[in-house]
Amino acid sequence: MKHSAVTVGLPRAMLYYRYRILWSVFFQELGIRTVISGPTDREILEQGSVLAIDEACLSLKIYLGHVRALVDKCDYILIPRVASLGRHRDMCTRFQALPDLVDNLFRNSGQRFLSYNVDLSAKRDEETAFLELGRALSAAPKEARRAYRTAKKAELAHHKARVQKQEQLCHQEGLKILIAAHSYLVEDPYVGRTVTDYLRSAGVIPLRADLVDRDAALKRGMELSPTCKWELSREILGGILQRRRDVDGIILLSAFPCGPDAMVNELITRRVKGVPMLNLVLDSQTGTAGVETRLESFIDIIRLKEGKL
Amino acid sequence: MAERALRKLSFPRYAEYNCALKYITEQALGCKYVMPPVLTRRTMELGAKHSPEFVCTPFKTVLGSMIEALEAGADTLLMTHGLCRLGYYGELSDQILRDLGYQFEFINLAEYDMSRKKELLRVIRRINPKVNPARCLAQFMEGLRMVEYLDEVTAEYYKGRGFDPTGGYDRAYRDFLTAMFTARGRADVEQGYRAVKSALGSIPLDKPAQPLRVGIVGEFYTVMDAFSNLEIEQKLSDMRLEVHRWMNVTNQFLHYNGQRNMHIKIADLCAYEMGPTATANIWYARECAERGFDGLIHIKSASCTPEIDVMPVLQNISTDYKIPVLYLTYDAQTSDVGLQTRLEAFYDMIAMRKKVF
Repeated sequence: MKHSAVTVGLPRAMLYYRYRILWSVFFQELGIRTVISGPTDREILEQGSVLAIDEACLSLKIYLGHVRALVDKCDYILIPRVASLGRHRDMCTRFQALPDLVDNLFRNSGQRFLSYNVDLSAKRDEETAFLELGRALSAAPKEARRAYRTAKKAELAHHKARVQKQEQLCHQEGLKILIAAHSYLVEDPYVGRTVTDYLRSAGVIPLRADLVDRDAALKRGMELSPTCKWELSREILGGILQRRRDVDGIILLSAFPCGPDAMVNELITRRVKGVPMLNLVLDSQTGTAGVETRLESFIDIIRLKEGKL
Repeated sequence: MAERALRKLSFPRYAEYNCALKYITEQALGCKYVMPPVLTRRTMELGAKHSPEFVCTPFKTVLGSMIEALEAGADTLLMTHGLCRLGYYGELSDQILRDLGYQFEFINLAEYDMSRKKELLRVIRRINPKVNPARCLAQFMEGLRMVEYLDEVTAEYYKGRGFDPTGGYDRAYRDFLTAMFTARGRADVEQGYRAVKSALGSIPLDKPAQPLRVGIVGEFYTVMDAFSNLEIEQKLSDMRLEVHRWMNVTNQFLHYNGQRNMHIKIADLCAYEMGPTATANIWYARECAERGFDGLIHIKSASCTPEIDVMPVLQNISTDYKIPVLYLTYDAQTSDVGLQTRLEAFYDMIAMRKKVF
């Protein structure tokens, strides 16, 4: 495999958690080196909070901290624009604004950025976007197409394997709690991971609403909320419907103040009945102690209800 | 069989556009329009009480206005679709109102694909199956003409109001609104429009050669709705400022020349469309800066995602053109006095700059 001298930086935040396999395999196939920012820590969050507008969501603050950490560490930083994946399949408008938002914030840094644009409402699908990304990195179109297809296959296989693992967890004995959250929140080591870690340490099996068969979840999500138009929320809605019979409780985990979650989680609490539910909003001030107390009492309530306490 | 009583339709308060909604409902759709009461603190409190905490403020205002419309006798509520969270307002407010126990029919445009004419016809048939399409279309266009007049007159009003020593501007604008809210046909609309145009044109303005000019940009609901932005345009014109705002229904929808053509001028600031009204706001902010305006004011409701994301671009415009920008965020608690203080400070600053430079 030939090696290009270019390195591409991948911020370990936001859509990284959804597309990391797609990105890493794509660049690897093209012989392009990637650098990934380190796991989120206090420093990254603080740097991001300084850059972000105060009111922006916790996830954006974390994201900007990761971008900041990559500046001058690579030739390009990848900031994708994912606006729409089809009718009623939009992303939060923040993912639509992200490349320009970062560009404007870092315009004096001298850092170069790389983007690709997936916007089905303007008939631009993912493959076209990756071909253009390949062109920007001077890869031959044929090679870029092959790299994209290999990467897409790897991504789907990886997701499938994760879904299967969830299926196994579903059939295990023990108290099970479903976490309904965006992958970039629940998997982030500095924020969401504290929740799953605590649940495990308390002997609870955490399940994930977003780790389900995506096509099926998108369809089922419409049953719960027919006009919900956010791709990620629809997957979670579908995941809740699919798993609610298998779990003892649901945690609606969101980042303060996540736009879609502020509305969709309200709808979920109004429409999904008969299962204990905890609404947990994380922000940059949330200490782990406060979160753990709330989780502890939630687990107690479930055990009490089931007569196991 | 007794004839079915007319459907009593309502749509939440939105700036002064309810006059056109009333006109279209009554003249084009052959229903009765229930005018929701003017927005007040009570509306906001009602809405905020039953809304999720972190939803954008217009949701709370709109929900409060829907409750007041139901109290005023509406049996059908209409809600629009939209590109940001607005597109989800319908389903969530419907659920909240049902949980509160209200009974009504809800027509949520987000359930239809409004880019298709056939779907639009389905909506019209659902509202009133007996509607005559030709007459409906003609009257609908009249309603849109009313929107155009309203936006044109409102822009002229706030541009000149600060320099009218007679109070004639206020009277003429008030009379114009009354005429629009009571119009029952094309003749009424035209007459009201002509009256206000000649009244505004005949008032001699006491205007300095170089008045202070501010441009207003921001989020679609709060920037236009005087109750929601605490009458910022009144306050600014009271300080003898020329107030310019591009963002209104006419410019954003009826005369919109499309993302592509508008984007050309700002392509160096942003490569893509950043949000539903981002392109227009960035474009207009730069336009104001290039025309030598003295300041810009960015208005949005708390946690409005697309407008938060526009702010870094506005900050760059501010640096490039050395134009001050005042960023205002409105939530259910924003106080009138606090706003007044900030506006006065902003005024002092831009007035001082004008003298120095």
